[in-house]
Amino acid sequence: MSDKPFFVGYLPAPGPLRGFLIAVAVLLIGAMAGAGYLMGAAQDDPGPGAFRFDYGRQTVTGVVDMVPYPILHVTQGNDRIAVGDSFMMTAGGKSGVDGRAMPLNGQLAQVSGIVLERGDLYMMQLRGGRNGLQATDGEVPDIPIEPQGRWQLTGEICDGKCLAGAMRPGRGLAHKACANLCLLGDVPPIFVSTQPVMGEEFLLVTGPDGTRLPRDAYDWVAQFVTAAGNITRRGDILVWEIEPDTIRLAGEDAE
Amino acid sequence: MDIAQAIVLALQVWGIIGALVAVAFLTVGIDRIDEDAQGAYVFRPLLIPGILMIWPLVLWRWWQIEAEAAPWAARYRPVRSAHGLAAIAMSVAIVAIVIAGLSVRQTWPADAAPVQLSEGSGQ
Repeated sequence: MSDKPFFVGYLPAPGPLRGFLIAVAVLLIGAMAGAGYLMGAAQDDPGPGAFRFDYGRQTVTGVVDMVPYPILHVTQGNDRIAVGDSFMMTAGGKSGVDGRAMPLNGQLAQVSGIVLERGDLYMMQLRGGRNGLQATDGEVPDIPIEPQGRWQLTGEICDGKCLAGAMRPGRGLAHKACANLCLLGDVPPIFVSTQPVMGEEFLLVTGPDGTRLPRDAYDWVAQFVTAAGNITRRGDILVWEIEPDTIRLAGEDAE
Repeated sequence: MDIAQAIVLALQVWGIIGALVAVAFLTVGIDRIDEDAQGAYVFRPLLIPGILMIWPLVLWRWWQIEAEAAPWAARYRPVRSAHGLAAIAMSVAIVAIVIAGLSVRQTWPADAAPVQLSEGSGQ
């Protein structure tokens, strides 16, 4: 019979094997901890975006403006949302509120929902049905629309809801499929500029001439890109009409 | 056809062939190569997902046993000799894929400044 030690799971480990087993166990635990740390350290900071349930439900009144994504120019705010602010609107899940907002385009409406906030950017996830968006009476003020010229910007196309805090991370390649699903569901797209444009880091991004973001641009979502297009200030928000044929990876020369 | 469509098409073709193999193997083949399975039917649907994935191996084993193409013992020996190589190759591939992914990952071009190409009437 061989004298070689033999490990049996339900018996005490043979003396000569104990050192080996302890060394393997320590190495495995150390390697796993190291791998976990490296993977965590390699991730980008997800940013400070979040649902602000702590603010409670917010209800304000303003002018609905389809650009073609729905934004609200606030005419009657509250202690958190000031008069003169403009913000984008979305619905629960991966869907927008285009169907509800379209009939109210250019009209005064009362909106109610939960705010998503990421630094200077915020949008509102509206309650369902008329509780979230309903027409209201009152005089409709003129909303200033100021063309700001054609700009070349570098940054990332994201879906506005996840970026504002619905997901963490709400941007980057790991989030690309989610972002495209949100955009397909009519969530407003946002461009994150590498540096502020007229004081704004986040711009609502659309297609040329007030059209929706073209499907061609979806392939570029979540990548760092450079493109050109006209910027218009509508109320308090900058809208960038991206030209799809100018989109290229950041750092690549234009053809 | 882009890469995503090609991947989906390849998976669909693989799955359709796997389904055909599953039908043939679970209705005809299994009775011919495993006498213990004769008359037992309830467990067979449980094999469908596995057959969809590894149908080439199922076909190869079916042929090997049916045709007595290998010595008796070899026919019933699991194909383990290549497992070690496959495990090493897969481990190396995972590490290589992670390194390749990290190396081609874009870095945030923080120094790229906005450039105004033309003036707007609102300025």
